[in-house]
Amino acid sequence: MDFELTKEQKEIQKAAREFADKELTPELGREYDKKEEFPHELHKKAAKLGFIGCHFEESYGGQGLGILENFLILEEFCRADSTLGTALLVSTFGSDIIVMFGNDEQKQKYLPKVASGEWIASGAITEPAHGSDITSMDTTAKLDGDKYVINGGKTLISNATIADFAFVLCQTKPDAGRRGQSVLLVDNGTEGFDQTKIHGKMGIRASPSGEYSFSNVRVPKGNLVGVENMGFYHTLEFLDIGRAAVAMQAVGMAQGAFDLALKYAKERTQFGRPISDFQATQHKLADAATQIEAARLFAYKTAWYLDQGRIMPKMTCMAKNFATRMAVKVIDDCLQIFGGYGYIAEYNIERFYRDIRVTDLYEGTTEIQKNMIFRFLTK
Amino acid sequence: MAEHRRGDLRDITHEMLSKGRELAEKNGASLTALLLGHDIKGFASKLTDQANEVWVVDDLRLKNFNAEAYQRILSSLITEYKPLLTLIGHTAFGVDLAPRLAIELGIPLTTDCLDIDFEGGVLSVIRQMYGGKVNAEALLKEAESYIVTIRPAAFEAKEGEPLGGEIVDVASSLKEDVKNKKFIEYVEPSVGDVDVTAAEIIIAIGRGIKDKDNITLVQELADALGGVLACSRPIVDKEWLPKDRQVGTSGKTVKPKLYIAMGISGAFQHVAGMKSSDLVFVVNKDAKAPFFSVADYGVINDMFKIVPALKNKIYEIKTIT
Amino acid sequence: MNIIVCVKHVPETAEADIKIDSEEKSIELSGLVFDINEWDNYALEEAVLLKEKHGGTVTAITVGSEDSESTLRKCLARGSDKAIRLTDKRFEESDSYAIAKILHSVIKNLPFDLILTGVQADDVGYAMVGPILAGLLGIPHATMVKKIELSDGASKVNRELEGGLEEVVELKLPALFSIQTGINEPRYVSIMGIRKAMQKEIKVLSLGDLELNKNDVGVAGSWIKIEKIYVPPAEKQTEYIEGSPEEVATKIIEIIKSRGLI
Repeated sequence: MDFELTKEQKEIQKAAREFADKELTPELGREYDKKEEFPHELHKKAAKLGFIGCHFEESYGGQGLGILENFLILEEFCRADSTLGTALLVSTFGSDIIVMFGNDEQKQKYLPKVASGEWIASGAITEPAHGSDITSMDTTAKLDGDKYVINGGKTLISNATIADFAFVLCQTKPDAGRRGQSVLLVDNGTEGFDQTKIHGKMGIRASPSGEYSFSNVRVPKGNLVGVENMGFYHTLEFLDIGRAAVAMQAVGMAQGAFDLALKYAKERTQFGRPISDFQATQHKLADAATQIEAARLFAYKTAWYLDQGRIMPKMTCMAKNFATRMAVKVIDDCLQIFGGYGYIAEYNIERFYRDIRVTDLYEGTTEIQKNMIFRFLTK
Repeated sequence: MAEHRRGDLRDITHEMLSKGRELAEKNGASLTALLLGHDIKGFASKLTDQANEVWVVDDLRLKNFNAEAYQRILSSLITEYKPLLTLIGHTAFGVDLAPRLAIELGIPLTTDCLDIDFEGGVLSVIRQMYGGKVNAEALLKEAESYIVTIRPAAFEAKEGEPLGGEIVDVASSLKEDVKNKKFIEYVEPSVGDVDVTAAEIIIAIGRGIKDKDNITLVQELADALGGVLACSRPIVDKEWLPKDRQVGTSGKTVKPKLYIAMGISGAFQHVAGMKSSDLVFVVNKDAKAPFFSVADYGVINDMFKIVPALKNKIYEIKTIT
Repeated sequence: MNIIVCVKHVPETAEADIKIDSEEKSIELSGLVFDINEWDNYALEEAVLLKEKHGGTVTAITVGSEDSESTLRKCLARGSDKAIRLTDKRFEESDSYAIAKILHSVIKNLPFDLILTGVQADDVGYAMVGPILAGLLGIPHATMVKKIELSDGASKVNRELEGGLEEVVELKLPALFSIQTGINEPRYVSIMGIRKAMQKEIKVLSLGDLELNKNDVGVAGSWIKIEKIYVPPAEKQTEYIEGSPEEVATKIIEIIKSRGLI
């Protein structure tokens, strides 16, 4: 057992922190939160330095590093700014299913462009009628000669309106439920594939979400990722990484909020003393730091498992369940330290408060995580 | 070591002579102003009141400052006459000249001093560290001769009783042309649309502005006050504002009626450029920012809270009147 | 073009809360974040830019304890090819003169066309190491450099003078330049850079490896000895304005108005 990061990992962490501190500024975060737009320029800058998709193999444009290194980067990004950090993290969402199950041709086509920041990925799983329950899909794909014909719709899709391609979970075998689903890649611009933006999200507003509609969208048979009718299982394994990433994201955000609160507590005086002199504040901060550290260890451990090639859905469900609930609570406590100022945009903690909430909801709600954890415990 | 450039004696010369005179009187020594250059008799006569002797080395090859040429002359003079102390300005001139001169002669040197004194034959100095957040008292290794560079504006150029110093022509000891280092030309600073030196009201920003996009916020305040926006060095290094907005030793020297510094720590290089302002406000989150020590009024708070509040107040006044 | 760049690992104090330690000879360093000296950061970038343009190698050198390896790693990740760390208990309390001697003892045996240093260090700010090192090596130097043009065996540099004025100076190579901030835009450390740097080794040398003895370094080999440090006294009687931003703004406007400036 070794809890120490390697020299290289520490360097990566430091480089990510330096970039994040200088580039993922709260001012930029506020601006993109307000505009509800993706920070393209920042994304390209980060990609150029190797911060995007660093865990892809070198032959596919990555840095050949592990999930843990990728997590260290996204932790720093989310710590510096919850809104921008999330936008950068989510920019690759979906590409890991290609890493895991894609063939060489698919990897060659998509991964280098994602890592270079040229392309933005998306993963289309959720449907209006099926949220976290993905055992049966209304979006269908039927083989017609050498093409799949896709029909249906997806909702709450991250990057929907900015992505260059999507992986789409489709029902390829009607009535077969989870045993009849397949993952298909659909490029932006394919006829019949339309996107609409969802406005008015509570948080993570620099990471645009939207809806996909598929009307007789024809994609080549070669766009099938992995094995036909195994899509559900592929997606579950993919979500294992996704869930762990959300746990890490939550830790980063909680740390960012904590840093703001600690600084504020030292600066703000009430009754002639800095509020950090008051035990009520001290205990809030002590608890917050403790909780964050526990969740961080959890998230790092899941990354370690993933880097060992071990699929541990129980661990990732637990990590997400713990880290996101922890972060929602910790950020709430941190905001409380700001008093009324915490409610005002210029203090930034308000954005952390809005941005963190989604981690409890996406990649499977906390309730779904608990269902799954219980199932693993009683298996 | 008198300093001059393009036909003018520089202020540091008078400041050093003033301090040099005080030290000479205290230690029973004599004070010599050393002038190197070409066609500099005019300068010499200006310095006779401030030194016991004014030595002039006239050589065409000394016309423009050249550390290599100046070092050769200085080292032969110091070797021959062994002065107790050689004062050189901590300027672009002195920084290029003093360290190498000291190493050639093996004479202890310290730089950028705010004060100097002799304590039992040993030279003691005060200088700053950590960007002016800390003062240090230091002793130099005991020696027969010392070299010290003096921070510009650290000493006041006091006018004392005229000393009526004699002008002494000293032959140039330059045997041959300097080969390793050649002065080519001066490059004038670029001229922009705003002349900060003419402004009566200046709002200046520093590192605390954090992001280029935030500059607009302070520009609006400057507009509302009828002032101009200036800055400290880091803002120009990042190319967020043009060089002609920089206040400080390597930028402009300003004397406005009102100077408001927002998020500037107050390194001496900046302060030296605005010290003569009539009324100075300093706004900084860091209570230990050195700038507060030269402010009339200090506000220990985040500039991003003070700037909007100030702007609102001014708009209020303007709509009422 | 073989370039040597001298760097220093220093605490970031511009925005940090500084405390003077109980012996009043230095500040409390625990809790401060250390990084490459700001001027050296520009010097490093300039060295890498020159290498990219003219070919050759960049070697980064520092005098410092093991902590300063992170600054050397940064240099390696940003494009330096080699790194050397000079370390010894007996180097402690060395002033700029002693540091220059330590650097000289190593650099004199290395092949180089150009040496770059920062104008000064963030912490002590003497602005001495560069020109003293040049003097010891017997090579031309220029301080406060804001622009470098290299040609065969010669260089043309702009020195920053007072008031925004610059002077252009021609120097023979090899030479030493001390670099002023703002000369370039230092790049970020990239993941690619870190990975490359991991394969590079940092050479560590101590007093025994150098042609120096213990009297050349530390307090014995220095010109300057710090006796005491303290918080500078205020030059003016500063009046502090307290209260909410609105109250502060009201007070400031009152003062400005009373002076007839509004």
